[in-house]
Amino acid sequence: MPKTLIHATNLKKCYQLTKTNTVHALRGVSIDVQEGDFSAIIGPSGCGKSTLLHILGLLDTPDSGAYMLDGIDVMKMKSKEANSVRAKKLGFIFQGFNLIPTQTALENVMQAGKYGGMTMKQRKARAMELLKLMSLSDRMDHKPNELSGGQQQRVAIARALMNKPAIILADEPTGELDSATSLEIIELLKKLNRENNQTFLMVTHNMEVANACKKTIKLKDGVNAG
Amino acid sequence: MMEIFRNMLRRKGRTILTITGITVGIFAFTVMGSMALRFNKIIGGGKRYITGQITVIPKGSSFGDSAGAFLPLDTINKIAKVDGVQAVAGGVSLPLVEPDPNNPTGGGIGQQASIQGMDLESAYKNRNWTTMQMKEGHMLEKGDAANAVAIGYTVAADQKLKVNDTMKIRGKDFTVIGVLDQTLTGPDQYVFMPIAAARQLLIDSTPFLKSLVEQSTAAANISAADLAKLPAATRTQLLQAKAFKVEDLSQEAAVSWKDGQDSETVANRIKDQFKNDVIVLSPTKLGEQIDNASAIFNAIILGSAVIALIVGGFSIINTMIMSISERKREIGIKKAIGASNRSIAWDYTLEAGVIGIVGGLVGLGIGVVAILFINHKTAASGAEIFLLNPTFMIGVVAFSFVLGVLAGLIPALRASRMKVVDAIREL
Ligand SMILES: Nc1ncnc2c1ncn2[C@@H]1O[C@H](COP(=O)(O)OP(=O)(O)OP(=O)(O)O)[C@@H](O)[C@H]1O
Ligand SMILES: [Mg+2]
Repeated sequence: MPKTLIHATNLKKCYQLTKTNTVHALRGVSIDVQEGDFSAIIGPSGCGKSTLLHILGLLDTPDSGAYMLDGIDVMKMKSKEANSVRAKKLGFIFQGFNLIPTQTALENVMQAGKYGGMTMKQRKARAMELLKLMSLSDRMDHKPNELSGGQQQRVAIARALMNKPAIILADEPTGELDSATSLEIIELLKKLNRENNQTFLMVTHNMEVANACKKTIKLKDGVNAG
Repeated sequence: MMEIFRNMLRRKGRTILTITGITVGIFAFTVMGSMALRFNKIIGGGKRYITGQITVIPKGSSFGDSAGAFLPLDTINKIAKVDGVQAVAGGVSLPLVEPDPNNPTGGGIGQQASIQGMDLESAYKNRNWTTMQMKEGHMLEKGDAANAVAIGYTVAADQKLKVNDTMKIRGKDFTVIGVLDQTLTGPDQYVFMPIAAARQLLIDSTPFLKSLVEQSTAAANISAADLAKLPAATRTQLLQAKAFKVEDLSQEAAVSWKDGQDSETVANRIKDQFKNDVIVLSPTKLGEQIDNASAIFNAIILGSAVIALIVGGFSIINTMIMSISERKREIGIKKAIGASNRSIAWDYTLEAGVIGIVGGLVGLGIGVVAILFINHKTAASGAEIFLLNPTFMIGVVAFSFVLGVLAGLIPALRASRMKVVDAIREL
């Protein structure tokens, strides 16, 4: 029986736009993620996928519900602790353009190590190792705007791996890439899953990507569907 | 650290404008501050001197006024007998160069050179300023020739005078017997001479005194018998004229007190006995007056600091707010990968601090260049207006850094408290 990393039940989140207009982004979503999972959250636009991922990634807080992350009760956590838990246990990959534009590829990857509490030496060594793994050894000193979309996304993956996170959360990691590059990225993620037992939870629109995943979680109008 | 400079370079134009804002403020701060320091130093030296004596001036004149009422020798002699008084010396002071009637202020900024008549017969010694450091020769003392002068450092430098040189003052020849060391204060601009010579110069340049002396001599020649025949009114007038003696011509007197005496007590004793004739300026009171004067110059420093604060501070706040809203995404990314609020706040505060210090260094640099230039120009006319003090300069740089940090603090805290989702949504 693999370890349960995420155990969330009945998560609710609404946005009060005006006094009379409330958007219910999540109306009670439950989700479980086991170690070694490679899962996709799918559903129509606006159904609350990103909102869910943000809550699971401690970037946002739910209005109600229960959430245990790797045995920690997230609902009782202060925002200060959330920062360090995020640095150590979670990795993020976003849709695109999520690198710091003034930093080189190497510096972008090293930045995560800084928040994860690594020494400068450790950071540099690990970042170089990861970029090599992403076949970017010859692009380490390039700024994001000197890299292709696929290359940028590979830098982001290296950064997500930096602190050896328990789980990597990805919001449409292939959203801005052409289909060939998308598959290339997905293959890379799958390889990390297969070889390192790295857990992934991603949001996607792309059915090809969803089909490549071992599990899918369907959402509709802020609740679990099917 | 490198990242800060890269972020600053990312928006070169804006960074330059911000830095220029601080530069202007810090430039004003440096220049005004150096000027105030210079004045404070002059005032401070004056204070040390003036609080080392009890100054007595005749009623009806304000302190420092050159022509007006005078202190009769008789009064000076009586004051010398007051309990606790060690000695009294009458004094005369007047501008070194006769004021030009068409341009009475002399047109100069800074302090003007002046003649100080010293009563060499008196045993008076200033409590705080017993010996003057000499560059060469000796200070004026009992037994020196009637036309001997000891001159201040700046006066000597201006007129390229050495010991034994002849110095022309208001058309008369004097011999330099000593040059004082630089004090950076009042005495640099002094020409010390025996009081009799100073009195004569004062009389020569004051028509009223000239006629008074002539009348007095004339009156002295009228015999008592002739005097009795004159009408009463004329008689009183003549008697008054006769009573006037050149030795009575002291504009002020400096009183030193005996060892172990309290200057305030001695000053009060003189005040009690001569309250109808003289005004007694106690060292403490004068010290306060001088402090008030330097408070004005300190207000200049403070005022220019406030200008720097407002100009520089607002431009930093403005820039940081703009650059933070531009970098919302970046902050979101940093937070998503685990940055603590403190580390975000620190990054942006430091960036503002660096902008501040760069602006400060440039402003200081331009200020120092301007000061050196102006000082160089005015050194020729004897009055350097600015004093460059290393501690002050370090303070200016530190101040510009603190200014940057403070101005960056609010935007940086705002950035650090930004909700991550809001920033992430922009991705
Ligand atoms: N900050 C916000 N303020 C108000 N409403 C919001 C906010 N964020 C999200 N919503 C709303 O919550 C709902 C869910 O949004 P979410 O971004 O989670 O959808 P999604 O499933 O990720 O959609 P997409 O596939 O288009 O990315 C939407 O109706 C959206 O308009
Ligand atoms: Mg979304």
